[in-house]
Amino acid sequence: MNIKILLIIVLTYLNLISISNALVIGSDENEILIDANFSGKDLLVFGAFYADPSQPREKKGDILIEVVGPQEDIVLRKKESFFGFWLNAKSVTFKDVPSFYYLSSTSELKDSFFEENNIGLLESTDSPVVNWSLISTNWGSINSDKEKEEFYDALVRNKSYENVFRKTADEIEILDGNLFKTNIPIPNTVPVGVYDVNLYLILNNKIAKDYSYNFTVKRIGIESIIYNFATSFPLIYGFTSLLIALIIGWISADLFRRFRKA
Amino acid sequence: MSIYLPIAEISINIFLLISLGGVIGFLSGMFGLGGGFLMTPLLIFIGIPTNVAVATSANQIVAASVSGALGHWRQGLVDVKMGAVLVSGGILGSIVGVSIFDYLSKIGQIDAVISVLYFVLLFSIGTLMLVESSQVIRDRIRKKTVKKKLHYHNWAHRLPFKTKFYTSKLYISIIPPVIIGFVVGILSGTMGIGGSFILIPAMIYFLGMPTSRVIGTSLFQIIFITALVTLLHATTTFALDAVLAVILIISSVVGAQIGVITANKLRGEDLRALLAIIVLVVAVQIATELFIQPDDVFNFSHMANYK
Repeated sequence: MNIKILLIIVLTYLNLISISNALVIGSDENEILIDANFSGKDLLVFGAFYADPSQPREKKGDILIEVVGPQEDIVLRKKESFFGFWLNAKSVTFKDVPSFYYLSSTSELKDSFFEENNIGLLESTDSPVVNWSLISTNWGSINSDKEKEEFYDALVRNKSYENVFRKTADEIEILDGNLFKTNIPIPNTVPVGVYDVNLYLILNNKIAKDYSYNFTVKRIGIESIIYNFATSFPLIYGFTSLLIALIIGWISADLFRRFRKA
Repeated sequence: MSIYLPIAEISINIFLLISLGGVIGFLSGMFGLGGGFLMTPLLIFIGIPTNVAVATSANQIVAASVSGALGHWRQGLVDVKMGAVLVSGGILGSIVGVSIFDYLSKIGQIDAVISVLYFVLLFSIGTLMLVESSQVIRDRIRKKTVKKKLHYHNWAHRLPFKTKFYTSKLYISIIPPVIIGFVVGILSGTMGIGGSFILIPAMIYFLGMPTSRVIGTSLFQIIFITALVTLLHATTTFALDAVLAVILIISSVVGAQIGVITANKLRGEDLRALLAIIVLVVAVQIATELFIQPDDVFNFSHMANYK
């Protein structure tokens, strides 16, 4: 790409100086394609922001980028020891959990900011009240708030292991004062679907400007054909897979028999 | 170089898969075993989800058994009638097995049950093989020859519904082979194995089949049962990964042929002692995961397949 696009932003940005503050996005990627070689991808997000030029740099505001993946239902289980065996015991179902959640800002933002603006999912350890309204749950046999909190933390923690839940405050690069650029790592475990990207320009702990767009993660080529085949026609898929096994088994027996005779 | 597996939904190093398939194929060719009992736990070990490992293993065993059964078939060493009786029990068993698997997946206990089953299985096989092979090695050192019994008569010969199995020169009730088929079918459905290590001794000791007919007939029955298990998993758990299966099948059939050639150049008991040690190591590995407190006592799974 990208020098051309970057130039356009710079020009747009220069045009915007007359306005008091502004946020311009130059990211052009709206598809991530999963093919046979897919091993994750870095999503480039960049743009320009403009705040009051009379202020010193550190008062010019912060950029916050939020990426939210498609929702999924998750069963979280807790292992307990039974006679020395570690077995799954209690379980909780979380409905409509974002499969991917990424929060990146140019500096550490206050918890009160996230709470006021209903942003963030990763704040349960710091805030006394978890924002349960964001997800619905089936608690099963669990009823104490403390235990619920424990399960909620575990959900966030376990999702973080796979790098699908992340929060960071030092990955956005600021170039030339008012241009920003960051690479958001999308791991190879992410599900297909539509991902929302929300960008905020924050001034004095308030959202001054926001901008949203989305990108789609989808399977292409042989990956998509096999997946669709397996889910739409499971029986035919099973038979095809068997047929391949039979043919390879047969051919190999024959091939090696001749090979040994020769 | 990594490859993205469409059903397992992970990307994994293709050379790791090829060498895994190759090594297990090599071992199965060398020892005349199906290799499923090593394939499934090792797939899980490298990060393949349990359900995908079980379903895909079953598919791989179909190819391995076809390849092996053909040779025995051409020499007339397959007792088709006995095979059919075993399969009839096995069909019921594998349906039960896959249902158990599906139920355990839904309540979240499949990983633990699979681990316990594999631990018990591998630990007993490993110990038995180690004891047996070390005895043979000891006898070899002392230059003793071992006398073997030729034929067994037991309770299996006194049950009703007796029928003649000409190829095996047997006249026994069909009940014991149906039961054996049923039990092995359950294990196939839940663990993704062929079950030859149970079938072969059961056919020799319970049914009194001649050893020459046993291997071909067990391979023959395994083709049908693992084929059914593959289909059942494809349609109920949706866990069959065709890309993974093809990689494993190709690498394992090549490995198996190299294994057969190598086996002819080595002493059987030394090989069995070696395999016994490999099997025990895998068993201990599985046990540690069961008995040691996990780093995080929480774990999650997606509900996509079970909506």
